[in-house]
Amino acid sequence: MFEVLISLLPSVLLEGLILGFVYAMIALGYTMVYGVLELINFAHSEIFMSGAVAGAETFILLKGTIANPYLLLLVAIIIGGAVAAFVSVSVERLAYRPLRKRGTTNRLVPLITAIGASFFLQDLVRLIEGLWNNAFYRRYPTFDAFERTYNLPVWLGDIVIILSLFTFFFAIVYLIYWVGVRLARAKQKRPTRNTLYALSGLSILFTVLFSLKYREVLTTDMGLSIQMKSLLVIVVSLAMLFGLNWLVNKTKLGVAIRAVAQDAQTASLMGINPDVIISRTFLIGGFLGGVAGVLFGLLYTLVHPYVGFIPGIKAFTAAVLGGIGNITGAAVGGLVLGMLEMLGGTYLTFLTNGAMGTEYKDILAFVILILILLFRPQGILGQQVGEKV
Amino acid sequence: MSQNTDVILDVEKVTKTFGGLVAVNDVSMQIRRGEIFAVIGPNGAGKTTFFNLITGIYKPDRGSIRFDGEDITGKDPAWIAARGMARTFQNIRLFGAMTALENVMVARHVHTKTSYADALLHTPRYHREEKKALERSMELLEYMQLGHRAQELAKNLPYGEQRRLEIARALALEPRLLLLDEPAAGMNPQETEELQEQIVKVRDDLGITIVLIEHDMKLVMSISERIAVLDYGKKLLEGTPKEVQNDPRVIEAYLGRGAVEGAQ
Repeated sequence: MFEVLISLLPSVLLEGLILGFVYAMIALGYTMVYGVLELINFAHSEIFMSGAVAGAETFILLKGTIANPYLLLLVAIIIGGAVAAFVSVSVERLAYRPLRKRGTTNRLVPLITAIGASFFLQDLVRLIEGLWNNAFYRRYPTFDAFERTYNLPVWLGDIVIILSLFTFFFAIVYLIYWVGVRLARAKQKRPTRNTLYALSGLSILFTVLFSLKYREVLTTDMGLSIQMKSLLVIVVSLAMLFGLNWLVNKTKLGVAIRAVAQDAQTASLMGINPDVIISRTFLIGGFLGGVAGVLFGLLYTLVHPYVGFIPGIKAFTAAVLGGIGNITGAAVGGLVLGMLEMLGGTYLTFLTNGAMGTEYKDILAFVILILILLFRPQGILGQQVGEKV
Repeated sequence: MSQNTDVILDVEKVTKTFGGLVAVNDVSMQIRRGEIFAVIGPNGAGKTTFFNLITGIYKPDRGSIRFDGEDITGKDPAWIAARGMARTFQNIRLFGAMTALENVMVARHVHTKTSYADALLHTPRYHREEKKALERSMELLEYMQLGHRAQELAKNLPYGEQRRLEIARALALEPRLLLLDEPAAGMNPQETEELQEQIVKVRDDLGITIVLIEHDMKLVMSISERIAVLDYGKKLLEGTPKEVQNDPRVIEAYLGRGAVEGAQ
């Protein structure tokens, strides 16, 4: 059994990484809106869904016209992103802004409005799809070019195994250190640089010893392969993440977004209209969500008006995991969650002798959410409260 | 009333109440172009509320405000700021998590003419405008002796430099009118003196009209050309530093009724 666990590891982690990129892109929408408005935009899962559905319709409509699948994907991404961005901006304009202008200070009010908008959008899309197609389950067409599988070099799998072993040992060592610090009631709670070096060294030692001892097991590589469409997901989401990072850190709009996130009133006294910036934030977040929707559809083929709920709430978990309001945090949280979920989904079956199957992976994500909220509510990268985006 | 072009800010009979409290009561003021004008008064006299009314954070209940001939009563803060009114804050309100340079760039926002498409496509105009904004922001930092701090986070700057950075940021708006809310608060005498020179320099170099709220009477008396005294939301009087200094009502406002008689 142990051999199976190890040999599956690289491909499980790769799958987790791919899923993680989708989560990360959705999580960015939650985190950006939270950054500027301190509002958890629960309608974001439906913004994601509208992008997925629009992407499906684009694929179905243009399949005959555009022969090149890559071009078709590009068009679908643009249309899916644009539709989602439009929905996102509309929700802000029609639901959240009127509340803001009315000076509602109770934070529950916009939150409940967000949930309401979410239901509204689900059924609106269902209505439109029903009128148009007489069916609201839509399937992404498959293309040979996207389904093709590429084998990755064997050493890549080995590296992945070594790195995961290291991460695993580091996590355990760090956990022991953490518990020890708490039990000893030490004043210095955060590990110093030297402590981190010591912990890493210890983990490296464990990794080396472990690898030497189980050398035969570790090298029984089943071969690591990746589908074209998964590769596309990685490429597109990486491009989006870097693009967003550039936008927020290097452009005038990015500076304005950060200014509004930190202090909307002062920003307005510097001539920046917060409403315009908030609207742009929804536009960008919505676009990213829509693109994530198209990629999601490409991976899992079936989309429908209710498809957004689970990925949406998991991306929310990812945003909280990384530290809500923090853009890098959202990306990190998405990747971590995606991998943990895949690990859990695959290994639970083995570890419980089949008593708990893959279907428990959703529960795993929410267990992580609860643990994060209990023990580190500011998330992995979140530092002090009040510092956003 | 007066359409005198020499008046840059014309506040007429402005009143603002919060619940039962009349924070600013029927105050009129005319600020002349190019002057340094001080608003003084005891704590709670309504000075900061007065600034908040001018900059559009609060809407006046009654009265009107004209800025350079244009009615700005009840307009949005961003709209007013973009028309050339900048301010600093009593309690420093920098964007702490941004660098000094970025703080100044925020205020360049309205003067940078790039569109979304420009930014996405990296058009020559985008590069030109970004470069211009960067250069101008650096110039302003140098002007306020903060050039060496450009890449530091605003929250890590020492107190006096944070105050100067607020002024640099306000100047980046290219304002015609600059409102300074207690710029010398918390400064030592040395820093206050430097600030004093800096304020006069800003007016002389850039021709910006300055209105300041300040408790440091030495600073107020030495740089302002005219002073208005607020007390309990009302304008007590207005005049030159000499007139204000010698008016018993002012001493009364600060020290309480009877203080003048007691002193004599």
